[in-house]
Amino acid sequence: MPFPRSVAASAFTVGQSGTIERFTNEGLEGKLLDIGVRPGARLRLIRKAPFGGSWYVKIGRQCLALRKNELACILVK
Amino acid sequence: MHPGEVVATPVVGLVGNPNSGKSSLFNQLTGLRQRIGNFPGVTVEKKAGMLELEGLPTVELVDFPGAYSCYPTSLDERLVVQELTNPEGDLFPDAIVYVADITKLDKHLLLFTQLRDLDLPMILVLNMADLMEADGLTVDVEELRHSLGVPIVTVSSRQGRGIAELRDTIGRLLRDPDAFRPEHPFYEPGASARDVLGELRRELPARNDYHALLLTHHAPWLKHIPERTRHKVQQARVHHGFHSLRAQVEETMARYDTFEPIVHHAVHHRGEEETLSERIDRVVTHPVAGPFIFVVLMLLLFQALFAWASIPMDLIELTFGTLGESVRATLPEGWFADLLVDGIIAGLGGVLVFVPQIAILFFFIAILEEVGYLARAAYLFDSLMQRFGLNGRSVVALISGHACAIPAIMSTRTIANWKERLLTILVTPLTSCSARIPVYVILISFAVPQVAYFNGLIGLQGLAFAGLYFLGILGAMLSAVAFKFLLKASDRSFLMLELPEYRMPVWRNVFTTVYQKSKTFVLEAGRIILIISIILWAASTYGPSDRMREAELRAGSQVETEQLTQEEAADVLASERLEASYAGQLGKFIEPVIRPLGYDWKIGIALLTSFAAREVFVGTMATIYSVGSSDDEFRIRERLAEERNPATGAPVYNRATAWSLLIFYVFAMMCMSTLAVTRRETHSWKWPAVQFVFMTAIAYVGAMVVYQLLS
Repeated sequence: MPFPRSVAASAFTVGQSGTIERFTNEGLEGKLLDIGVRPGARLRLIRKAPFGGSWYVKIGRQCLALRKNELACILVK
Repeated sequence: MHPGEVVATPVVGLVGNPNSGKSSLFNQLTGLRQRIGNFPGVTVEKKAGMLELEGLPTVELVDFPGAYSCYPTSLDERLVVQELTNPEGDLFPDAIVYVADITKLDKHLLLFTQLRDLDLPMILVLNMADLMEADGLTVDVEELRHSLGVPIVTVSSRQGRGIAELRDTIGRLLRDPDAFRPEHPFYEPGASARDVLGELRRELPARNDYHALLLTHHAPWLKHIPERTRHKVQQARVHHGFHSLRAQVEETMARYDTFEPIVHHAVHHRGEEETLSERIDRVVTHPVAGPFIFVVLMLLLFQALFAWASIPMDLIELTFGTLGESVRATLPEGWFADLLVDGIIAGLGGVLVFVPQIAILFFFIAILEEVGYLARAAYLFDSLMQRFGLNGRSVVALISGHACAIPAIMSTRTIANWKERLLTILVTPLTSCSARIPVYVILISFAVPQVAYFNGLIGLQGLAFAGLYFLGILGAMLSAVAFKFLLKASDRSFLMLELPEYRMPVWRNVFTTVYQKSKTFVLEAGRIILIISIILWAASTYGPSDRMREAELRAGSQVETEQLTQEEAADVLASERLEASYAGQLGKFIEPVIRPLGYDWKIGIALLTSFAAREVFVGTMATIYSVGSSDDEFRIRERLAEERNPATGAPVYNRATAWSLLIFYVFAMMCMSTLAVTRRETHSWKWPAVQFVFMTAIAYVGAMVVYQLLS
């Protein structure tokens, strides 16, 4: 089995899930941490918003709405 | 201070994350004894209430805005940091009641540990205890108390459980704050911060190391830091290569690492199954069904608004009618009776009649907020809003704007991006607020015939009404696009929105909101309307004496030549006098400007007075058309219908004029309070001026086009 490679969460398709590894954007990192998104938590893409551009995401036991660029800075494996 | 000695009016701050049930708790603790004001220097709504505790002076309980951490991204959060890092400030609390959602301790304790490290006496309130069972949650409170080192009270602010114990604990904490001092901080500033702190520690007005660290981070914007110190901080930060964002991340991670094991030991969750909220969201936030449900919900809301309000409105109308008549019958005839009946009672009655609709609108919006739907609406429309230069959160302002633009504009403080926030502030007043309802109701009956289809289920007038609301929204969105291209883009934009669990609304909260907002409307609007009614009554009763004499002579000769009855003669005299009065002359003066819109000088008077507040329109109409006549002042609609153009004899309120007025009222910026709030929220006169000019320009052009097309 190949070693799991980490990818940006924005590359996920609906229904896919993974564990947050780290963040790639310092500007968004602090704010994401503040609202409880942190390494080690499970991330699952639940659905896409109408008109495109944002996603309904479940992180740990919490539901959040994140934009594409916000998801893009979350590395997941 | 010795133990047992308490300051004169102790301040207790209620702090916590958004969605921690803080406001419910505040309502539970203070009931209706609340004062709503502003935090000094900023227009963040400040809610304070009085708390009577046995053996203590009256305690002031301040409800701080919800915040996630001491590293603010929105104005709301900034305020919390501003006040809690300023021991000299009036709002610096003597104790903090920290509210955390018991089901979300793994993230709600972040801010808790930060405030704890500021060395503030604290109580930890574990709220939402009623949800524990449904969540399959067990919490070892004793274990938490031991590891966190603070008194802990478990409450359910929704059911009112644990409130008595909380009051006792607050009392004990105030009497002996030192008994609850922490022994160790949760976090010691790391290596990267140590150098810069070493240099600044003495320079900064800080109580301890963590306080100094926060001041180092936030000195550039904190109001209580003097310019000189700010400069020093800046130099030291550069000199030691202090990187604020990096230090923040480092600290946050370290804090999570400290309290996560504590939570892990004390709190046990059942497995991760799909919750009821997620099942509801499958439908409510569905890409297709979601927006559809939103539209249906809004339609129902406005339908209910009119269905429910009609009976109380009739009652109020009747009461004021009877009141006016009985005052007229009791008082001797003269200027005082005229002022009272034509000025004050007519003016106030014309506005109080709309309190039911306003209350119902606030009722619905409060429910949507309580249930958790507004966050979903923000999620659903974020992408769409972004195209218009707005943020998903703007939806909340645009919905609340239908009740009143003032709280709506204030709600934009949760939008971190300045440009998105500014656009939202600028366009929100275009949504049809409740003050437009009276104007719409009266004018629509002239604009649209009373025709109904499907057994009266859908009325043409109701459709026109919905159309006006839609027009307001359309205007707001299109203006936003225009401003999007005119203004330069600035900093980052966030969505990062929590979607809280759906909850049954707490009726106590809903009714408190409705009560507070209706009270504010009656007091604020009532005051303006009362003053304007009196001025208007005086201005339309009196005029330059020579002109008034001429008017009387003209009326006299008309009565003689046309052989009028006594009643007709009184009407002729009244209208000649009104035309010669100060108000009449002012109306005549602006008549050339509003002629292309189809308005005469009487409407001109109403327009002018409406610029203070648009709901004054109806009161003005009541005053203008009742001055001088003795019959029922309260059937404004009938009086308007009787109004004839003296030159042509055609009705003044025809379809074209009524539509033109409607369009004018949809778009025009006629609310001093909104302009004042815009000024305070944007810290400049430029934006209220821009808002006033662009809205009124659209109104003028729009009304002119409509009038010219229809007439």
